[in-house]
Amino acid sequence: MTWFDDLRTSALVGTGRHAAPLPPAELGYLAPDGLSREEYLLDQAALADVVTRATRTASAAPGTGLSSPAPVDTEPQASGEAARLLELLLTQPPVNLELRTQLVVDWLGFAEESRRRVPHRLLPSLLTLAESKSAVLRSLEPAIGTRGRWMQEIKSPPSLEPATQKTDRRGSDAAAEYDRLRGRDPSAARVQLRASWTSLSARERAGALALFAGNLHDDDEALLEKALDDKAKGVRDVALRLLDQLPGSARAARMAARLKPLLQFKGLLSKRLEIDLPPDPDKEALRDGTPADPRKGEPDRMARLEAIIKGAPLDVWTSVTGRNRSATVALLQEEPRILDAMVAATAARNDAEWARALLTVLTDRRLLDCLPPEERAHWLERHVRESNDEPLTLAPLLYDLPQPWSMPLADTVLTVISGKDGGRLAAMLAEDLPTALPPEATERCRQLLAETDKDAARRRVLRDAVQYQSFKQSLTEAFR
Amino acid sequence: MSVDVVAPAYRCSCPSRKFPCKHALALLLLWSRGEAAESGADTADFAQEWADQRADRATAKERRQTEQPADPEAQAKRLATRLALMDAGVDDFSRWLTDLVGTGLAAARNQPYPWWDGVAARLVDSQLPGLAEQVRDMASRIHGRTDWADHLLFNAGRWWALTKAWSARDTLSAEEFADVKAALGWATASADVQDTERLTGPWLVLGAHRSDDGRLQQQRTWLQGPDGTVVVVLDFAGQGQGLAAPQLAGALLDVTVARYPGSAPQRAMFTGPITPRGAATSLGPGGSIGQALERESAAVARSPWRTRIPVLLDGVIVNPDGNGWLHDPNGDALPLVDAPLDSLLALTGGHTTDIFGELEDGRLRPLTVVVDSMVVTP
Repeated sequence: MTWFDDLRTSALVGTGRHAAPLPPAELGYLAPDGLSREEYLLDQAALADVVTRATRTASAAPGTGLSSPAPVDTEPQASGEAARLLELLLTQPPVNLELRTQLVVDWLGFAEESRRRVPHRLLPSLLTLAESKSAVLRSLEPAIGTRGRWMQEIKSPPSLEPATQKTDRRGSDAAAEYDRLRGRDPSAARVQLRASWTSLSARERAGALALFAGNLHDDDEALLEKALDDKAKGVRDVALRLLDQLPGSARAARMAARLKPLLQFKGLLSKRLEIDLPPDPDKEALRDGTPADPRKGEPDRMARLEAIIKGAPLDVWTSVTGRNRSATVALLQEEPRILDAMVAATAARNDAEWARALLTVLTDRRLLDCLPPEERAHWLERHVRESNDEPLTLAPLLYDLPQPWSMPLADTVLTVISGKDGGRLAAMLAEDLPTALPPEATERCRQLLAETDKDAARRRVLRDAVQYQSFKQSLTEAFR
Repeated sequence: MSVDVVAPAYRCSCPSRKFPCKHALALLLLWSRGEAAESGADTADFAQEWADQRADRATAKERRQTEQPADPEAQAKRLATRLALMDAGVDDFSRWLTDLVGTGLAAARNQPYPWWDGVAARLVDSQLPGLAEQVRDMASRIHGRTDWADHLLFNAGRWWALTKAWSARDTLSAEEFADVKAALGWATASADVQDTERLTGPWLVLGAHRSDDGRLQQQRTWLQGPDGTVVVVLDFAGQGQGLAAPQLAGALLDVTVARYPGSAPQRAMFTGPITPRGAATSLGPGGSIGQALERESAAVARSPWRTRIPVLLDGVIVNPDGNGWLHDPNGDALPLVDAPLDSLLALTGGHTTDIFGELEDGRLRPLTVVVDSMVVTP
């Protein structure tokens, strides 16, 4: 035990119980006479303090933590006004936080276009923002430059996983690998899945199958048909959902055969379509996804009919009535559940023709998504302008459209917003609207803002829109 | 509507009860953009009149203060009272210290905060605010630090030495006594320092640190003179008050400076208006980690009460391990404290760089980095 350890011990327990040690001779300390035990200890503490501070030596460098220095940045850094604007956005955003995120993303986009990079000193706050905002994280490249990539590596090094997690990771790694393969080469992925089908667990089979949804092809039908005989209900459900998307499949033909006898086109003068409920399902129908009888209570026959409608090709309806799609749909106006099933089928198959026909009798976001973007914008614009619906019902149709909106659409939406009850629509669109309006609409927003208005939500949305556009304008100029 | 930008003071004919009113703020904004009419040729009469009145009042006040007859007898009496009060306080404190080690530091750790606050309050009453501050801080440190036992023991030793130095103050040199006074918290009036000397610049701002412990805001600005003298300018402000404007690291300031008594690096104050004269591209030659520790050792020898040493390190690398480390080419390492590691890494990119900071307790608080011929605050 060294002198100092001894000193610490007696200080901790008190000199009452443990007297202070003798100081080492080399310090040359001579205690004056008549010192109490406490004073003797305090004298030595003062000595220890000075000795420790005066004899400090450099520590040995820790072996870990040091990584190789960052390579030299290839792009020039964004300077002057552009850097200042980014700093403003990161440290004291002049706009609300959603707009801030969008503007940071815009900044990164502009930087990419003009081949500039984020100044080094702003990287920490940018990377911190990216941790909580995935939109920023996605647009970091390439504007963060070499130094930014280096920082990311340091912050989340490709560390060695503990051994216990390894097995799980292999499973998810394989899934991710499979996901990429399916995106790149669907048929190769199908062949691979078919080969490994028996070796996979039910959950893995369902997961792998679900990945087909993005780029389903007629060639996938054989595998899906096979999956209908799977032991696991999860796998069968995924296969059924996917087969609903293939109107040319054998299963769709079987569903058509079940649907056709239920439809009767009757009446001499005023033609009408009569629809029967399906009979109890046999084994084959159950395999094709018709709901079975529940354990207790009455079976939901309507749900069976819906399952059949969703599975069958939509052209069954026109072949029964002998009329075109719009006229056929018009006959069904009184049947909301039937129409809803048809909408689901249309959406699953992304069938623009049927979507147009159905849009004549009802308005549904799923149908709009089947239309080409321009036609959709056009339809929306007309709908917003002409419909007398409550403004609130428009909000679900306008969410998540590709931005920026076309000018006519922006114009009509602004008209609705500035009208009576438009404030509530403005409030519902508060997140989308400021970024969705095209730059040309800014002037209109300014005019609307200038008018006296008691509706705080509307004023806020309009002000956000103006702020967003003017800040974006500054960004454009800064990067010029 | 006119604004005195030096004071600052505002005057406006509007009835607003906000002060400064929006007109004054607007005028200040214009002024900051260089668009306002400066005082000079085309000053409006009312504004000139107001400015003259202010100037008159200021000179009158100054005259009153300087002309006030200094009563040496009363002064001596005040000093004697203060010394007696401090003597009693130091006596009381040394008794408390002996009790502290008598019952053991472990027992002190179990004491609640009010126990420490009580000791601190007694010290304040005895006009020893510097010591009081240290004791109050200790209450939170012994609960926050893993090496609290060593920390408390060393500090108890330092306090003990301080009480001894106070009792033996007649044997100390003027410089040593000034250090003891500063450590105890006996403030030197700025008026006493003001006229003692006029060190001219340009002064290079090495770095600055701001802290706010809830009661007091503090700002330390390290300056380097043309001959290499390093001084520190301390600014304090209470809760809700504004601190003096911070100086940008790397700026060259044209200003006269007067030093407070004490050992180097001395506290100093600005004695004239500050005129920025551009920015430096480097902080000058620094040293290695070994040399920095030698400087700390020398500073402790000069004044054991001093706990913060300014150091400039050359060619060091930032290592983000733990709380951060600096490595120098000799293979030595120095732990960092309060370091904005992400920022340091982003600026340096793991390359060698010059760093200025405060060496405190064997750890460095980085304040300034030199990157690409630019002096920046991380």
